[in-house]
Amino acid sequence: MPEIKVTPLGAGQDVGRSCILVSIAGKNVMLDCGMHMGYNDDRRFPDFSYITQNGRLTDFLDCVIISHFHLDHCGALPYFSEMVGYDGPIYMTHPTKAICPILLEDYRKITVDKKGETNFFTSQMIKDCMKKVVAVHLHQTVQVDEELEIKAYYAGHVLGAAMFQIKVGCESVVYTGDYNMTPDRHLGAAWIDKCRPDLLISESTYATTIRDSKRCRERDFLKKVHETVERGGKVLIPVFALGRAQELCILLETFWERMNLKAPIYFSTGLTEKANHYYKLFITWTNQKIRKTFVQRNMFEFKHIKAFDRAFADNPGPMVVFATPGMLHAGQSLQIFRKWAGNEKNMVIMPGYCVQGTVGHKILSGQRKLEMEGRQILEVKMQVEYMSFSAHADAKGIMQLIRQAEPRNVLLVHGEAKKMEFLKQKIEQEFHVSCFMPANGETTTILTNPCIPVDISLGLLKRETAIGPLPDAKKPKLMHGTLLMKDNSFRLVSPEQALKELGLAEHQLRFTCRVHIQDPRKEHETVLRVYNHLKGILKDYSVQHLPDGSITVESILIQATAHSEDQGTKVLLVSWTYQDEELGSYLTSLLKKGLPQS
Amino acid sequence: YRDLHTFELQTPTRLIEWACGNRVCVAGYGQSDGNEILQLIPPPTLLTKETQGLCPERDFKVECGGFSERPVYSLKYVPDTSLLVTSGPPDSSLQVWKVSAEDSDVIKSVSTLATENGAGQSWAKIATISARAPWVLHGSRLNKVQITEVESRKNVYTAASRGSEELSGLAFLDCNTLLLCCATGQLCLADIRQPQSLMEAMSVPSAPCSEQWCMGTRHGAQGLELSSQPVARLSSRGLLTLTDLRKTSEFLALAKARVPSPGSGTEFLCISWAPALEGYLAISGFDGTVHVYDTQRWDNSGREAEPVFVHKGHTFGGAGGDRDLPLVTVHTWHLQKPRTLLSAASDGSLHVWDWVQPCGKC
Repeated sequence: MPEIKVTPLGAGQDVGRSCILVSIAGKNVMLDCGMHMGYNDDRRFPDFSYITQNGRLTDFLDCVIISHFHLDHCGALPYFSEMVGYDGPIYMTHPTKAICPILLEDYRKITVDKKGETNFFTSQMIKDCMKKVVAVHLHQTVQVDEELEIKAYYAGHVLGAAMFQIKVGCESVVYTGDYNMTPDRHLGAAWIDKCRPDLLISESTYATTIRDSKRCRERDFLKKVHETVERGGKVLIPVFALGRAQELCILLETFWERMNLKAPIYFSTGLTEKANHYYKLFITWTNQKIRKTFVQRNMFEFKHIKAFDRAFADNPGPMVVFATPGMLHAGQSLQIFRKWAGNEKNMVIMPGYCVQGTVGHKILSGQRKLEMEGRQILEVKMQVEYMSFSAHADAKGIMQLIRQAEPRNVLLVHGEAKKMEFLKQKIEQEFHVSCFMPANGETTTILTNPCIPVDISLGLLKRETAIGPLPDAKKPKLMHGTLLMKDNSFRLVSPEQALKELGLAEHQLRFTCRVHIQDPRKEHETVLRVYNHLKGILKDYSVQHLPDGSITVESILIQATAHSEDQGTKVLLVSWTYQDEELGSYLTSLLKKGLPQS
Repeated sequence: YRDLHTFELQTPTRLIEWACGNRVCVAGYGQSDGNEILQLIPPPTLLTKETQGLCPERDFKVECGGFSERPVYSLKYVPDTSLLVTSGPPDSSLQVWKVSAEDSDVIKSVSTLATENGAGQSWAKIATISARAPWVLHGSRLNKVQITEVESRKNVYTAASRGSEELSGLAFLDCNTLLLCCATGQLCLADIRQPQSLMEAMSVPSAPCSEQWCMGTRHGAQGLELSSQPVARLSSRGLLTLTDLRKTSEFLALAKARVPSPGSGTEFLCISWAPALEGYLAISGFDGTVHVYDTQRWDNSGREAEPVFVHKGHTFGGAGGDRDLPLVTVHTWHLQKPRTLLSAASDGSLHVWDWVQPCGKC
């Protein structure tokens, strides 16, 4: 039976290290290569020894696919390709290819410079790794080799995030990465066509949450900002250049307009340039609304949001500033933070996950006294708030995606098995497909039923449709024919045509059985007795007495001869072809029972 | 508002029940099978006393769920056990389920408590208690009220009947006293130690046209005899009565709520007392709003009463036109936070809100 094998890699059940191995029709594909952000040692990397114990992985993998630029999906990529060793192609979308190296470099800086780690990839490794990347467009079928092809679908979630379909012949797997089924202010919702893959692999981390509505979250965010600004405080929002920053800007701009607020909002220039640049490149990746606005004007020509200058940080009075980097570990956002931290009227709102070791992480954990360079202690009196606008699919979203794609099997990753029983049952009941939830390191084998296309000859088709009622679209119709496998083609033809093509003559199989009957009379009288007997019993069959003294029942022939040695015994020869086996046997046993006395 | 959180359930619910450990349970009531019973863990913001604004954990988590073949109209946890009981059309039988959240996240169906299904039986109203043993009080009509032991399925009490009116609610006032409310508004008391005794009834003000009634009893009040707490009744025309069960000849208070005249919806009438605020109750089921009243301002006149607060959130959710305005199906009070309520509507929305006393009294 053909099968697809899936193994999630890595040790431990936590969220945060996506890396899945798929084996399909002899091809091996690695999906994502994430880093676990919570660990400081080797546990943060997926366990590649599963693929091979030693040596480079190039020969064992046909390709690597990265779904989006979040570190828990691509963070281990340079380690994998340069330190463990892989030279094959790495596929990702264009935005992901542009943004990945920036995030990786940022992360490398924090880990090596700030934390002083040594066993980590270098800047050069990141560059070398990215040279192996092949960027793909949405809905573009990419031939990895003669048999393996992949296609990216829009996944929402973050800029450039994609779901990938991997196809070999007529077996296919769809991997979702992280996706979102509801559109937000700057990204659309994930979408896939009815591709009916053999297997759909979906993240299920948020499957058990019922999310607070976006409106409430936004309203609370605006409330906090408003309160701080009203009392004369300053709000710092550290962001990464792309993604949520745009959403928050749009949100604030609309709010400022509506409430007629005067406090200035700033966006640091480095960000503006980069962001603009990326948005121009990847405009097709954002949603309709943004695209329309961008066409009309520059992305960052807001009425109320201005470019920031370092000197402004010292201005008195309320203001809101967006600055990079997002985790407060260096650069402008950290500088501003140090200036404002001492005043309790101020507020810092962290928009997302912060890696251990960064200032962002420390203050979110509750630390209020931080050690800066030169043994200086910084007392944090400003308010620290955390808010997450990240978009993931919940149970409803997962069901929607399954409904769209119509897979034959579903596999869920990143959830504790016993907590996923309910979702598994839900999926199985609603869609009548099997649902799997392997643990990390566990291999799941999915049996597939590949369809083999066969050409049917016109003659055979006409003949088969002429028999019986018209075929019902929903019910399979049984047809009889001969399957010819020649070169790489499969054809279904009628037996006669097959014989003709192959130059074979049809063999006829004929059976003859002897039945002894006690009858002293002459042969033709015995025949008459047999004929009358059979005619009486076999009312539904055509029983004929031929002039040459033989009897036919349908196409079965019965002849009588006298026994060579005993004149009182007649021998009936019953003869039939292979096709008439059933009737032949029946006649034989009937005659063996003897003739009625006449 | 001091706080408002809105959530969306995959399918609408008409019940919100509290379970131990601050869990909340909701269930689907759709016609087809595949209705889900969900036990949810509320976000930490709802569990703490102070409200936090931007707390990272703001979502409900599904702790465990079960699948019901029939629509779930009523659900009650059986105290001190890991069981719960549900009821719903097409008949008055009950389904018993087991929740074992540590082992698996599936709520398993355990057994069915069948009842003799006469003609015209609608779904059973239920109440549970675990005083002498885990019991469930159930019945769809006045002459079909019984108490069944949940685990052994033995019938321990059958009420003597005085009529066959449809019931709209029933409750245990204490481990021996039952309170039954008919859809016509009559209240009946019964003592299970005297099964053959006739039940006393208290009626409601007569009405020109037929209306449906439902009741709300105060529970959770520590150290107070439940039978001394007034029983509130709400009619489909908006009439509100308060009755002291020790003095049933007259009403304690009578008022009228300002509600639209009911269309078809008397199905979701709901009235409940605030467990942590003396004298406050809430009503819903007429439209997409929930009203909160201070009954201490009421008298006997039956005048229209002014609600202290009206929650309108559900009316803004509806996506369709006028015909699609969501109807609030159920509401319930938070057991500890005095001004927090949860409400659900027919469009699947689930709101958690904390209102502020308008004239500054807190």
